Amino acid sequence: MKLNLSAKSAWWTPDIPKSPLMRRRMLWAYAFISLPILALLVFLLGPILFSGWVSLHRWDMLSPVGEMPWRGLSNYVFLLTKDSVFGKALGNTFLFAIGGVGANTILGLGFALLLNSPIRGRRVWRVLYFMPVITAPLALAVMFSFIFDRNFGVVNSVITSLGLPRQPFLSAPSQSLLTLIFIAVYQYIGYYIVIFLAGLQGIPQDYYDAAQVDGAGRRQEFRFITLPLLKPVMLFVVVTNTIGALQVFDLVFATTGGAPANSSMTVVLHMYNTAFKFSRMGRASAMAFILFGIILLITVIQVRLLRDRAYQD
Amino acid sequence: MTQTEHPLQGAATALKYLILVGGAFVMVFPFVWMMIASLMTAGEIQLRPPVWLPAAPQFNNYTELVDSIPIARLYFNSLFTSGIIVFGVLLSSSLAGFAFAKYRFPGRELLFYLILATMMIPFFVTLIPVFFIVRQLGWIDTYQGLVIPGLTSAYGIFLMRQFMITVPDEIIDAARIDGASELSIYWRIVLPLIKPALATLGTFVFIGSWNNFLWPLLVLNSRELMTLPLGINSLRSLYADNTNLLMAGTAVSVLPMLFLFIYLQRYFIQGIALTGLKG
Repeated sequence: MKLNLSAKSAWWTPDIPKSPLMRRRMLWAYAFISLPILALLVFLLGPILFSGWVSLHRWDMLSPVGEMPWRGLSNYVFLLTKDSVFGKALGNTFLFAIGGVGANTILGLGFALLLNSPIRGRRVWRVLYFMPVITAPLALAVMFSFIFDRNFGVVNSVITSLGLPRQPFLSAPSQSLLTLIFIAVYQYIGYYIVIFLAGLQGIPQDYYDAAQVDGAGRRQEFRFITLPLLKPVMLFVVVTNTIGALQVFDLVFATTGGAPANSSMTVVLHMYNTAFKFSRMGRASAMAFILFGIILLITVIQVRLLRDRAYQD
Repeated sequence: MTQTEHPLQGAATALKYLILVGGAFVMVFPFVWMMIASLMTAGEIQLRPPVWLPAAPQFNNYTELVDSIPIARLYFNSLFTSGIIVFGVLLSSSLAGFAFAKYRFPGRELLFYLILATMMIPFFVTLIPVFFIVRQLGWIDTYQGLVIPGLTSAYGIFLMRQFMITVPDEIIDAARIDGASELSIYWRIVLPLIKPALATLGTFVFIGSWNNFLWPLLVLNSRELMTLPLGINSLRSLYADNTNLLMAGTAVSVLPMLFLFIYLQRYFIQGIALTGLKG
């Protein structure tokens, strides 16, 4: 990210232009940003402040905003100590993110390396792998609910015709989360292949040529050229994928709904239920803030880790 | 590279294609199976041992589907709302991005930092308050309730600014000397120069809005306003026992978008790689 913020005018200096011509241009600039900034204030900045305020209260959204009973931090305390569903959801969401990000990164890089090697029909492969990325998560959820169905699913048809026992997949606590991770990886792997492929193609061929002159093998090339130079792309993939995975909703909503026995309940789904089924806006807002805090923390840690390693090499 | 004919190399190439074909099979199979199942009878889907193809393709599944849900209406709603959101985001992002990239005004840095900060806010944190605002405005179950909160994007403003900063100041100054107004500089000079960035942002926003589920689920109630993902969701309960019809409905909502993607895939994938590397 290059910001190019001019060092001359810090934000606190009222840098008002002198000439009337410059002043008129300044007014134009304000006109250009006025509506977008207003919209961001009303639909983003205002709401996040309001959400923080609500998280300290008890509110059902029907009673007037001014009369919300103050609850202090008790919503947070309840969630972190007493709400077992929230704890379960948090654990599931972490597992879902770890599994998905791990698989997407390893498989994404693996397939990108395959597609970057001399190969026929690169464009066709890329398109085939990318198809689920543009498909609505809800449609994929419906398709896979059928494919993994315990009784009539095609995967079980294949498994049983091989003489193996029928698997419950989405309908058993032991397999529901794993199945959801599989669907999520299926959905986004194509996106990460394209990103990794673009990163690989950005590495100058000269480096490999020079390494070959020095007698480096394939493995050494990968370790000492490809991986270090791919660090920024890796950072992008891991961070965006983690942020996205921690917010999963559609997929879970339309496959298991968090069942069985909350084995696939995730934080945003639990938040949705708490807010819009049980009208506990305060508790749901507190949930949102806990997850938001976790996302920020994880992002900072990931950026630090991946950056430091890049400097060491 | 020197091509020495080593027997191991042949095996490695074969393995490479084997992995690619295997992967592609996994990626494509769900779509193919959706189409096959959509042409089966309700009985054929539940047969044991299973059948892999319908005895006779049941095209009337699709006519039955069209009779029970207003598919054309769903398409119109999705296209209409996504179109407005794309237009709104492109216009607001490019105007604000232009101001941040090419004008000097008090508060510019502060406001821009504010935009960078809002970029990090995930949707679920603002969901409850935005829903509340929309309800207070009386916009529940309306197009404006669905569309208006999505008309600006902090990410869009950021992206547009990053691209517009690369437009040389000399071009803009020359236009000013020729007497061009600020608006016509924006419209006639800067916008045409950043067309690829506009196309990329537009694509992103379109896919996001086209596939969006949670927000329409909260805001819309009536069938007349439903978008495609909501339509699929309502089919889940309507056809709980008719998976063949459920698959027909999913196919109808998914396939046209897929064909469009395959037709435009070059621009699509280039744009996505571009923003991925810019980030």
